Amino acid sequence: MAAPLSRQKLLREWKLYFFIVPSLAMVLTFAYFPAGSAVYHSFFEWAGGDTKQLIGLDNFRRAFHDQVLLSSFLTVSVLMVFNLFQMIPSILLAVLIHRLKSDRWQYIYRVLLVVPMIVPGLVRLFIWKFFFDPNLGVLNGLLDFTGLKGVLVSLDHVFGWGVFYANVPIGWLSQPELILPSLFLWGFPWIGAVGVLIFLAGLQSIGQDVYEAAELDGIGPFRKFIYIELPLILTQVRLMLVLLIVGTLGGYGLQLQLLNEYGGPGGRGMVPGLWMYNRAFYAGEFGYACAIGMIIFVFILVLTFVNNRYVRIEK
Amino acid sequence: MSPAPTRRSDLSRDWTKHLFILFFILIELFPLYMMFQVSFKDNATFIRQPWLPINPLSWHWENWDFAFHLILPYIANTVFVAVTGTVCSLFLAILGAYFFARHKLPFSGLLWAAFLALMLMPSVVNITPLFMLLKSLKLLNTLWALVLVGIAGGQVFSIFVLRNFIEDLPRDLFEAAEMDGASHLQQVFNVVIPMSGPIIGTLAILSFLGMWNDFLLPLIVLRDKELFTLGVGLIYLDGEYVKQWGQIMAAYFVASIPLIIVFLFTMRLFVRGLSAGAIKG
Repeated sequence: MAAPLSRQKLLREWKLYFFIVPSLAMVLTFAYFPAGSAVYHSFFEWAGGDTKQLIGLDNFRRAFHDQVLLSSFLTVSVLMVFNLFQMIPSILLAVLIHRLKSDRWQYIYRVLLVVPMIVPGLVRLFIWKFFFDPNLGVLNGLLDFTGLKGVLVSLDHVFGWGVFYANVPIGWLSQPELILPSLFLWGFPWIGAVGVLIFLAGLQSIGQDVYEAAELDGIGPFRKFIYIELPLILTQVRLMLVLLIVGTLGGYGLQLQLLNEYGGPGGRGMVPGLWMYNRAFYAGEFGYACAIGMIIFVFILVLTFVNNRYVRIEK
Repeated sequence: MSPAPTRRSDLSRDWTKHLFILFFILIELFPLYMMFQVSFKDNATFIRQPWLPINPLSWHWENWDFAFHLILPYIANTVFVAVTGTVCSLFLAILGAYFFARHKLPFSGLLWAAFLALMLMPSVVNITPLFMLLKSLKLLNTLWALVLVGIAGGQVFSIFVLRNFIEDLPRDLFEAAEMDGASHLQQVFNVVIPMSGPIIGTLAILSFLGMWNDFLLPLIVLRDKELFTLGVGLIYLDGEYVKQWGQIMAAYFVASIPLIIVFLFTMRLFVRGLSAGAIKG
């Protein structure tokens, strides 16, 4: 809509620039300046004070030999693979809700899905921390109650994990071997209201007539999912996956609160973002933290570009 | 629009689906149930009977009393940050979007690119230098730091959405307003804002939720207990050595009350806003 202006109109409309100045000032101060500062300081040894020393690429050299950082990238890759599985319940739920005949029930379920969102994210996290508690936690209580604990103990005997014992409560967040499983398990059944609502929006384009035709042809529910529903929401699935993966790669709030600033016992839950946070605010190595930030940024950028290419080819 | 008789047969045909959906949703709501019923117990009762709610006559209301006294100041701080941040953020974003949508002035293409480029920048990476910036601006340990960073963080996405929306508004409206001698600011107030109620509401909810749930920035910015927002307050509560689960759960519940109220009034916007939130990022 916006067309280029003639000169005299420009003379009249120049005041319009005042409209963008506040936004621009905010963005320059609180987004561009810190970003530039991060690049600049990644070449310095800097404890946050006035004194800093230019050390060239030493921070990056150190990063490539930093065992904690290297293994944290391994951990975060595992967490990103978890994301794939954690999306499945949301997709299934969206398809089930979409297949309901009654519009009223579809709306009711949509609202019910959003209800858990009223709980602050942090509270959800702490409730799960409470579920993981070895003595009082719901998870151990459930395992004892259903007898699944016995199954785990006998599996332990067979495979020799050395993790589950009959009379010892399971320390989900205190045994190094169980940190990754706990990070996978938390938030079960991993239904994100946002995800389900996006998938539902994608499914909306399938009319009832398609289903009726499919039923006339005698296509079962499973094949309906593979041939009709999944292809239609593939774009949304990929979008959600990218959001989840980028969030996981840069995120550290979950690990910081569920475990601690060292990624829990044995550092098994250490992720790159948490290591950056740890170096900056616990060790005071701001320069090194900026360098780690740059490395994470490059990884996120590469992932975004790969995804953009991939999406374009599919279309 | 199916008439009443077929609806019942629909329900009987779909019961397996309903069963599955309810199963998922019940697990999803289970933490809420635990939070509610534990909030009325003291530790001894909770250890004896962790699963089922106890008789309402012996409910420990003092847990809730404790929670209200603890959490209300945090809520007040968070409401201040989230409301001020959301209102200012959206106002600036509307002005910015109006700039991009109405006329193509010199450099507006460049400015647009400068805004879009920020979409690629993950905010996590910035947190270290942002902390140092706030320190040199003497904004550490103030709520304004959170407000300002929140305003800046919301600009890109809101301007992006609003620009498209304003461009789709009928041009006649703006021309008519100009005929009447309305300035640009008057056009924003009398044409843009009245016409874009729902989209502003949706963006407001997204922005509000984002600031409400943030705890990483407050955690490094705030030092004084009087300034704590909900996130930091809850983290300190979690760090207590001897845990009174009833009190903690009551505090969690109180922390959720403001959003329950917002949710009751804006259910439709909420559902739509969250679907739209997907584009973010």
